[in-house]
Amino acid sequence: MAATDAGTNRTAAGKVNDNSVCGSIVLAALALPGLLPRSAVADNAPEHALIEVKTEHYQDSQPGFQRIKIDEPGIYALIPIGQHWSLSGAAVYDAVSGASPRYYTTKSGASSVHDKRYSGDVEATYYAARSSYGLSYAHSEENDYDANSVSADAIFSTPDNNTAFNVGLSAGRDAINPTNRIVVNEHRTTYAGIVGVTQALSAVDLVQFQVGYSTGHGYFSDAYKLFDNRPRRRNSETASLRWNHHIATFGATLRANYRFYQDTYGINSHTIEVQWVQPVGQSWVLTPGLRYFTQNAAKFYVDPPPRAPFPNLPDGSTSSLDQRLSAFGAYAVSQKVEWHITQHWSTDLKGEIYEQKSSYRFIGQGSPGLARFQYYQVQFGLTYRY
Amino acid sequence: MAPDRSAEPKFLADGCEGRTIRFGAMACEAEIRIAGVDPTRASGLLDAAATEVRRIEAKYSRYRSDSVVSRINTAAGSGAEIEVDTETADLLDFAARLHAQSEGLFDITSGILRKAWDFRSNELPTQATLDGLCRRIGWSRVHWPAGVTSRRIALPEIGMELDFGGFGKEYAADRAAGVLLAAGVRSGYVNLGGDIRVIGPRLDSHGWSLGIQHPRDIAATIAGVELRGGGLATSGDYERYMEVAGRRYSHILDPRSGWPVDHWQSVSVVAPLCLAAGALSTIAMLTGTRAPAFLEAQRVAFIAVDAAGRVHRAGC
Repeated sequence: MAATDAGTNRTAAGKVNDNSVCGSIVLAALALPGLLPRSAVADNAPEHALIEVKTEHYQDSQPGFQRIKIDEPGIYALIPIGQHWSLSGAAVYDAVSGASPRYYTTKSGASSVHDKRYSGDVEATYYAARSSYGLSYAHSEENDYDANSVSADAIFSTPDNNTAFNVGLSAGRDAINPTNRIVVNEHRTTYAGIVGVTQALSAVDLVQFQVGYSTGHGYFSDAYKLFDNRPRRRNSETASLRWNHHIATFGATLRANYRFYQDTYGINSHTIEVQWVQPVGQSWVLTPGLRYFTQNAAKFYVDPPPRAPFPNLPDGSTSSLDQRLSAFGAYAVSQKVEWHITQHWSTDLKGEIYEQKSSYRFIGQGSPGLARFQYYQVQFGLTYRY
Repeated sequence: MAPDRSAEPKFLADGCEGRTIRFGAMACEAEIRIAGVDPTRASGLLDAAATEVRRIEAKYSRYRSDSVVSRINTAAGSGAEIEVDTETADLLDFAARLHAQSEGLFDITSGILRKAWDFRSNELPTQATLDGLCRRIGWSRVHWPAGVTSRRIALPEIGMELDFGGFGKEYAADRAAGVLLAAGVRSGYVNLGGDIRVIGPRLDSHGWSLGIQHPRDIAATIAGVELRGGGLATSGDYERYMEVAGRRYSHILDPRSGWPVDHWQSVSVVAPLCLAAGALSTIAMLTGTRAPAFLEAQRVAFIAVDAAGRVHRAGC
């Protein structure tokens, strides 16, 4: 088309270098003062890296019985590399002390536990125009349990950015060597996949639906619990629906989330969670949250009678007295306070109280006398961005 | 017990990021957002940026009798030359270049056509009216000598007018961004009625997701672009228009005929500056079929919607 010469630099733009990456009109605009301070002309504007230090205190309890106490300092860093890459990593060190897990009414088979756990993960992410791709590796190490996993995930969004699809795959292999040597060199292998779609329904509503599938085989039992012999295969399916709604009147965001889970142990569970993200003033954000969880018992869960001896379980039959496999309900109340101190520094404090009781359950039956289980958790974080 | 970082998908925009100011300026809704700034400084910075927008509005508004533009227009045909300051001179030089590069399609003297086009009346102007106005259009006849130190401008005929409306908003968006950049802000954007200049990427170094309005459905977008810097501007036939006998007449007027152009429903351009993006999108609307080639020659990315609603895009 001959008309294209309208765009070539033939008139007043005689000075313009034709090999320039900018057209003549762009160059003419760039020549105007005050629009692009010299300091910002550089190709790569300063990127923001992030370093975050978190420390967490966890204490759980059953009536009259302080169980596990965990103090967990951790560090997280995110470093952008060039225009398209970022690298992030986290390292956590746990000092676990206290009694070993206690099940139901059995009196302290609880030997004292002192354990240390190191864990870390690293993720590289590549950002393209309308998609991103992440690859990560995670490792954790305890004296009786080593875990390794790799995962890959990708996110694609449509040209109007109103819809995004995500897909993720992961594989993990754990090595289990309990100190009581009930089993030696046991392994557990898990493969999982997840797909999801996120849709902006309006300028203030974002909805996400995700389904996941996981298949695992190997040693799932708890070596420190009596009569704990769980099936060596456990497959599970999850579905979740998330809704974020921004309320302009309050400048706040409501986050609501529902999750359904079912597995081949016969456990079905439902989780409902709501959070209210409320900025206050210029530098504070308060986020109260409420979560409800309920599940029915695993097919092989055995409810031990309060005082009688344990039921006679045939050798090799599957069974577990782990309260986590019983039918129960639980409430968690949380509050997070964030304070953006300066451009570079921010800090946050989060507390959560959790209480689990069989009587809180909405589905399933059994376990009327299961002891109440509670924990509280306090997390403090300090973040530096530069 | 490790913090669950996967709880929120990465692409969920957090409505709480940064500080935003919204105000009315230049006959549109203005929004300026900055992030990564000491909260005690944020208000002051946003106010300074808004003040810069209002300064440009006051200086170049043809609705204000004390504006530079009004002084020039009032003196039209009198023979008097009006001396202008450096900023105005730079903008006039830029306008001169746009006129030359667009083969006369971008002409800051064409604003008088609005006198014939009343888009609320649903009545078409007569050809005689348009012909009369077109005779008073023509940047090439404006006395604006290049390469002299004392910059004086004169409009040769009574009734001739300059109108900076073709790039005033875009220039203001860039200037407001310039104020914030100079103050050390590196994350945020300035949006003046859809003419957007990105100051710098989000704090997580991702770009800002900018939607491009659907030219026929005000609630929808046709596309989105993610910008970490630079400008995005859209010209469309949907901002002001009227329909007469089933045909749409928009405010994008060809200065040669006085009639609206109708080849494109909208053209959006991404360029290093909002000013360039805005000028190029307007020229593209006016150049009709030649727009894609013109924009490619100008080495900018664009998304254009043709009269049939088909989307043409390059570079984004």
